[in-house]
Amino acid sequence: MEAEIRWLDDPEVFRVNQVAAHSDHKFYKSKRAFEQEKKENRRNEWQQSLNGKWKFRFSKNASERPKDFFQEDFDLETFGTIQVPMHIELAGFDKIHYINTMYPWEGHIFRRPAYSLEGYTPDQKSFSETEYNPVGSYLTKFDLEPELFGKRVHICFEGVEQAMYLWLNGVFIGYAEDSFTVSEFDLTPYIREKGNILAVEVHKRSTAAFLEDQDFFRFFGIFRNVTLYGIPSCHLEDVWVKPVLLEDNQTGEIGIELRCSKEEENKEFYIELSLVDTDGKVCWEKRQDFKQQINLKTEKIGQVVRWEYGNPYLYTLQITIFDLDGQEIEYIPILVGFRRLEIKDGVILLNGKRLIINGINRHEWNCSSGRCISIQDMEFDMQVLVENHINAVRTSHYPNQIPWYEMCDQNGIYVMAEVNLESHGSWQKMGVIEPSWNVPGSILQWQEAVLDRARSNFEMFKNHPSVLFWSLGNESYAGDCLVKMQSFLKEKDKSRLVHYEGVANRREYVDQISDIESRMYETPEKIEQYLNQNPKKPFLLCEYMHDMGNSLGGLGSYIRLLDRYKGYQGGFIWDFIDQAILVKDEITGQEVLRYGGDFDDRPSDYEFSGNGILFADRTEKPALQEVRYYYGLHRQK
Amino acid sequence: MDCIGKNKKNLEKGSKLHVVYGDVTLGVHGISDLGKTFDYIWSYSHGGMESMVLDGKEWLYREPHPTFWRALTDNDRGSGFHLRSGMWMAADLFQKCSGIQIAIDQKEIPLPIAPENNRYGIEECAEQVEISFIYETITVPVTKVKVCYQVDVIGQIRVNVHYYGKKGLPELPVFGMRFQIPTKAVFYRYQGLSKETYPDRMAGGKPGIYTIKGLPITPYLVPQDCNVHMETQWLEVYRNTVKSNVKEDEKSKKELFGIRFSAIERAFAFSCIPYTAEELENATHQEELPFARRTVVSILGAVRGVGGINSWGADVEKEYHISGEQDIIFSFLIRAAKEE
Repeated sequence: MEAEIRWLDDPEVFRVNQVAAHSDHKFYKSKRAFEQEKKENRRNEWQQSLNGKWKFRFSKNASERPKDFFQEDFDLETFGTIQVPMHIELAGFDKIHYINTMYPWEGHIFRRPAYSLEGYTPDQKSFSETEYNPVGSYLTKFDLEPELFGKRVHICFEGVEQAMYLWLNGVFIGYAEDSFTVSEFDLTPYIREKGNILAVEVHKRSTAAFLEDQDFFRFFGIFRNVTLYGIPSCHLEDVWVKPVLLEDNQTGEIGIELRCSKEEENKEFYIELSLVDTDGKVCWEKRQDFKQQINLKTEKIGQVVRWEYGNPYLYTLQITIFDLDGQEIEYIPILVGFRRLEIKDGVILLNGKRLIINGINRHEWNCSSGRCISIQDMEFDMQVLVENHINAVRTSHYPNQIPWYEMCDQNGIYVMAEVNLESHGSWQKMGVIEPSWNVPGSILQWQEAVLDRARSNFEMFKNHPSVLFWSLGNESYAGDCLVKMQSFLKEKDKSRLVHYEGVANRREYVDQISDIESRMYETPEKIEQYLNQNPKKPFLLCEYMHDMGNSLGGLGSYIRLLDRYKGYQGGFIWDFIDQAILVKDEITGQEVLRYGGDFDDRPSDYEFSGNGILFADRTEKPALQEVRYYYGLHRQK
Repeated sequence: MDCIGKNKKNLEKGSKLHVVYGDVTLGVHGISDLGKTFDYIWSYSHGGMESMVLDGKEWLYREPHPTFWRALTDNDRGSGFHLRSGMWMAADLFQKCSGIQIAIDQKEIPLPIAPENNRYGIEECAEQVEISFIYETITVPVTKVKVCYQVDVIGQIRVNVHYYGKKGLPELPVFGMRFQIPTKAVFYRYQGLSKETYPDRMAGGKPGIYTIKGLPITPYLVPQDCNVHMETQWLEVYRNTVKSNVKEDEKSKKELFGIRFSAIERAFAFSCIPYTAEELENATHQEELPFARRTVVSILGAVRGVGGINSWGADVEKEYHISGEQDIIFSFLIRAAKEE
């Protein structure tokens, strides 16, 4: 198969040869290897990081790119280097640009999404043949770590913005969009022990751009980890653990679905599963012969400790694959929390109690490295949540790095897990609703792309007890495509609620989209109005208290609603951290924070991305003490 | 009268005020209950208090004035507050003193400019001096503010501020008195609420006594009104520098000296930062602000909330607006700080 540049223009092509989305479980050689890794902070020996300095060339558009650079004999003389991961703009190759709802090409290029209006198709080649749509050509040479020799080898790109083509040793491997979702490819047929040449061509914009119009700095490039995984001879491809706290709020049950693969058809394996509490006591166990698909019937397991904010008790499901000689082949630990989420009499209940969301929206941000953030940043952020009685986080507006979800599990933070979807500029212009060319809307050619985003988000994070809500995306209006996303998730997952705010702007879809009445920046009076008129759905604010600059006045008026209306379940403050960029001041040489428009980037929305309860350098804004106070009032234990 | 104006040493502490009826200014001098000198001068030509010397240290850079403006917050800008109330910015910058009244020991006297002051002499004393300035705003319609300084025998100044509401005037972002202190403070200390608070964002402020070192401003991406502290009982500002060239002053550079503003019946709000509202307003980034040279203390009788419902049109909640049509009256005391 050959790569085709026209995929950039076609909304129906968004993944080529990718491994199907699956749970984010980690796998180890043995239980002992896992424990050693944890204790000694060692790397997983089946993983090989490809982060580091890569060869790099920047081109202004697709026609100027070095088309054959993936070929093994290509002369790399014109190539420089770049750090992986890193945004290409922050490496100085392309302009840093901040813009809110407008598409980033506003005023520069006229574009309409294919199929949105008559006459617009992929044939306009709106992304593949245009004067400005930069390309980053990345190349790295590597030898396999000996631990990966002889194994099936997958490569995971955890985040590449916005469309990428991949080649290994001169052979085309695959194509991916969806910048904030892991893109995984099977390299097994082409990988060598030594002298591999991996080439990645990253395009700044593609049709995915219409679906990724989030209000943030517009970057491109490989901005999250790139990792090789050695896959053992028998491997757990996907697992879905379904723990439930039963109606008595005391006992639990568990159901498990497993999907496995093996290298050799005629080799046999068996699987042992055991659920272990924090004292190491086995609460439930099972042995199972290898099958490709295993659906374990739901079984009662007696007394359990609930998982919830204030008491995030986690069991571990230990899954071990053995060969018939009893040799450990693979070990997978999965954190399991027992909880029950439901809507009763118009109120969301968690473990039988009314759920109160003292939440925050969080973009991944670091003022030095943009959306390329470290584990330390995440740990710091989690500490801020915990210390300020923030009990919920919306991953606005895309899947976050995987460790964040585990931190939320461990700290009892409720997650609204949002799909990477925002098409704000396609339906709202100059502050008013104008959906003449809205995508995805009800356009069939855009449906699979957004459904795939919902699927990836679900498959990746389905085992995290912290995830209470699947959010279909942000500010993308509403149409049949959103209905499809909703029904996909409802069909798959009965243990969570589906959230989407955009239906507030299209009431004819209100019965088909979102289990919750969600609004943003609604006034306390209007919220009361809704709650006083026989509300169909429980109410929450997916965004409120816009903390831009010196703000966050009047939080008390929202908090008081919690006492007056059971159906008011709280909200997520906008937002966690100012998005601004640390640069050296050209006059004083001091490090200073810059925002939209400071890089000759136009049009821009300037300081509009500075809405955090933290400043961009992670220092506390004065308003945080107000959050700490009010969120402390309804702190549920 | 038996006070000796020529030599302050002859004044007993806290006994009498020595009044100097100048041609252009009114001087009031004395010794406080703590035995420290105080020397005040009000200027008729500049329309305000021109000099406030406590124990030999000057505390005024220019005459204090009523303040009507705060550097727009992002929410102010987003809600178009400036488009409705922008005339207060000009009113803040440009003020006309349209009247001066003086009372000595509670008896009003004709304004003692020459030749009226020829009737006074070298050794004039009083137990209380009161001088009021009437300021006219350049708003349409025009209104007035009366600022009255009452000095008692120990040198304590009571400042009474009265804004006269006028029908047709837009809402105010803030109202108070702005003092520009000649050099940068080393620290300030106050009894009130923790951190920066505003009327609609003060529930989380913990009551206590707080010391703020340096003269920080909250580094919002775009410089804007900041560092307001609501519900304050008192504020002390300490410095260790003066602008005087005199060498003796150099020697005492490391010594701290302070001024105290205290509430009378009602707590006040204040901010203590190195910039005026206009200086903040003019910068689009923190690094564009000038070097911090002075200390700007605003003692505030009314503060508008900051809001937060959104930043693109939602107004601050009603109870946190300041009507321009209603009177605002507040008072506070000024004297030297006792410690340090």
